[in-house]
Amino acid sequence: MRRHWLSTGMAAALVAFGLAACGSGGGSSASTGLQIWEGYTGAEATAFKHLLSEWNAAHPSEKVTYLFVNNDNSLPKLLTAVRGGSQPDIAYVYGSWAPNVAQIPQVVNLTQVVQRSGVNWTDFWVGERDVATVKGKVIGIPALVDNLAVVYNKALFAQAGLSPPTPNWTWTQFMADAKKLTNPAKKQFGTAYVTPGSEDTVWHWEALLWEAGGQILNSSNTQAAFNSPAGLEALNTIRTMAVTDKSMYLDPTDSEYANLFNSGKIGMLVTGPWDLSGFPNVHYGVQVMPSFAGTNGGHQTISGPDNWVIFNNGASRVAAAEQFLLWMTAEPQDTYFSLHTGDLPIRASQEHASGFLQQMNTALPGVDTFVSNLNNVKQARPQLATYPKISQILGTMIVSVLLGKSQPQAALASAAQQVNQALASG
Amino acid sequence: MLAPVAALRRQRRQPATRATRHRDRVRASEQIAGWSFVTPGVVIIMLFGIVPIVWSAVMSFQQNNLLTGNTPFVGVSNYRQMVHDPIVAQAISNTLVYTALFVPGTMLVGLFLAVAMNRQIRFISVYRTAAYATMAISTISEALVFIWLFDPSYGIVNYLFSLVGIGQQPFLNSTSEALYVIIIMTIWGWTGFAVVIYLAALQGIPKTLLEAAAIDGAGRWATFRRVTLPLLSPASLFLLVWLTINALQLFDEVYLSTAGGPLNSTSVLVYYLYEQAFTNFNFGYASAIAYFLFVVIIIVTAVQFWGGRRFVHYRS
Repeated sequence: MRRHWLSTGMAAALVAFGLAACGSGGGSSASTGLQIWEGYTGAEATAFKHLLSEWNAAHPSEKVTYLFVNNDNSLPKLLTAVRGGSQPDIAYVYGSWAPNVAQIPQVVNLTQVVQRSGVNWTDFWVGERDVATVKGKVIGIPALVDNLAVVYNKALFAQAGLSPPTPNWTWTQFMADAKKLTNPAKKQFGTAYVTPGSEDTVWHWEALLWEAGGQILNSSNTQAAFNSPAGLEALNTIRTMAVTDKSMYLDPTDSEYANLFNSGKIGMLVTGPWDLSGFPNVHYGVQVMPSFAGTNGGHQTISGPDNWVIFNNGASRVAAAEQFLLWMTAEPQDTYFSLHTGDLPIRASQEHASGFLQQMNTALPGVDTFVSNLNNVKQARPQLATYPKISQILGTMIVSVLLGKSQPQAALASAAQQVNQALASG
Repeated sequence: MLAPVAALRRQRRQPATRATRHRDRVRASEQIAGWSFVTPGVVIIMLFGIVPIVWSAVMSFQQNNLLTGNTPFVGVSNYRQMVHDPIVAQAISNTLVYTALFVPGTMLVGLFLAVAMNRQIRFISVYRTAAYATMAISTISEALVFIWLFDPSYGIVNYLFSLVGIGQQPFLNSTSEALYVIIIMTIWGWTGFAVVIYLAALQGIPKTLLEAAAIDGAGRWATFRRVTLPLLSPASLFLLVWLTINALQLFDEVYLSTAGGPLNSTSVLVYYLYEQAFTNFNFGYASAIAYFLFVVIIIVTAVQFWGGRRFVHYRS
């Protein structure tokens, strides 16, 4: 028996040693200074590092170190880190995760912080503030903002004898243009739609729904509201192009559409400013999304802002993290970041700052339309922890209609029933 | 065999002599040495294997979103939910169709190429490298290439189809075709692996046996069927087990090309549980699906080994 005791004891000691070693590795963030998790690459990474070095030079006792974490994976990694007690002080988190992030006990409530003098919280676009707020509690500071507009190929418009879209255009015009831009012989499509059934599929449609005067859920977020004449109009619009006119290229991979537009195979894309740098081979123009004639929705768009979130690592570090984020998102830093990356400014006042839009446009043609289009962000997606489930249901609905597998009215009714079920079961 | 063991037992019951005490000490020091060698490995396996396995078993009986510390015990309700989830049923059926076509497909293509390359011809190492290269290419590049090959409007496959008068296929945009594109994609990706295993096994077949068969008047096909194939059976069993386990765990290609779509037609179990865990934050439900898959894999593997004993020929 003694033998076993000895070997077991030794194994246990080594296990303990191994665990201790792991533990000390995870605890190294206990040193002074802040750690930030971000997923910037390319020009964004360069600009971010520059701002970081500025801050570190001015605040030697509150130095910020960064760790690259792919944004797509940041939440799973954050959950692991929080469980291990080694969470960063600040993390870049997708806005769509805000309702889930708000449930993490270590996430710092910033409601009071953003009301401090000098922060000028209302200068952040309303779409950003909506996504940073969950059930009345501010859980993040805006890190990025974008929106959807129409990017069109000027040469293809000219070839088809079409005049470029105007700020007053309608979806009827969009559909007619798409039809004229379609040429099966040249394998040329009027427009494209991403159909993996993911949130990328869904938010494009949600913008149409709002423009048609509809809502995703009722005002108390307890019932589906999209099964409406507006929902039907929005769904029929994209269905006509995909199924009847065949003027819409359906991209199940969510990646090819950009290459095809850049190769002059697609006339118009509803997309965001992040795609513009991927179109060096075509002369493109940018216009706001069309409106639906006869509705009061007007020209709207949808925004998918992201947040900086602070995790609690003790009062002094939280205070330092707040100070850093308020500095990072203040006007001078915002200007620097936008001009060096082409990202839209996170503060509304920038739009009217002298020379700002011209400078932005020199670097990235057409981006000024995306900046002014931020004024058309009038609504936000429901800030619910069940939204991912709702999004899946809507994604299935849209794809099944676009692939001609179901009729819009029936698809809407079935999706509404499923959404109501999901909302009821929480 | 029984007698010495019984003798040993009798011996142990006797009072310890000097000799047995010495033997015990030697054994003890061997034990310590042995344990000290394997402990680092054991620690790593415990940390990265046992802990997650046990933890996910616990989570499968919880309602757990990993966000809050609130993880109520819900009994078997996650497992019960699986029974009533139509997408789980679809994912199981997709996983089975995929496995049933991918495993034999990869083995047949691998065997064919290995036999074709098991000879001394010019540039043979170039061919062998080319075959194995499919393993070296990252899954993301593989997926991107296949997405373009099978693009409905611009892909080369539809172009080739048009040359022989077959109509344009929607492929990844079709609920009935997308899964087969993924099967072709993954067979291509795993062929290199099967080729290497079969080539190694082919080279281990003694020439004497093949010559003996030839002297006995066996033709090429008879030799292959009666001599080569039985001698390849250990390699075949290994590939069968290995590829099946991999097939049941398919994820990368689906994630990269179709994200389970269109309309869940390529949603397989691992992809669906990923979605449940990391999109919907149902870690409890996802763990239950993972455990179901775990049990299925154990049963399938056990059946394969059991069945394998009947047809696998091990050369002594």
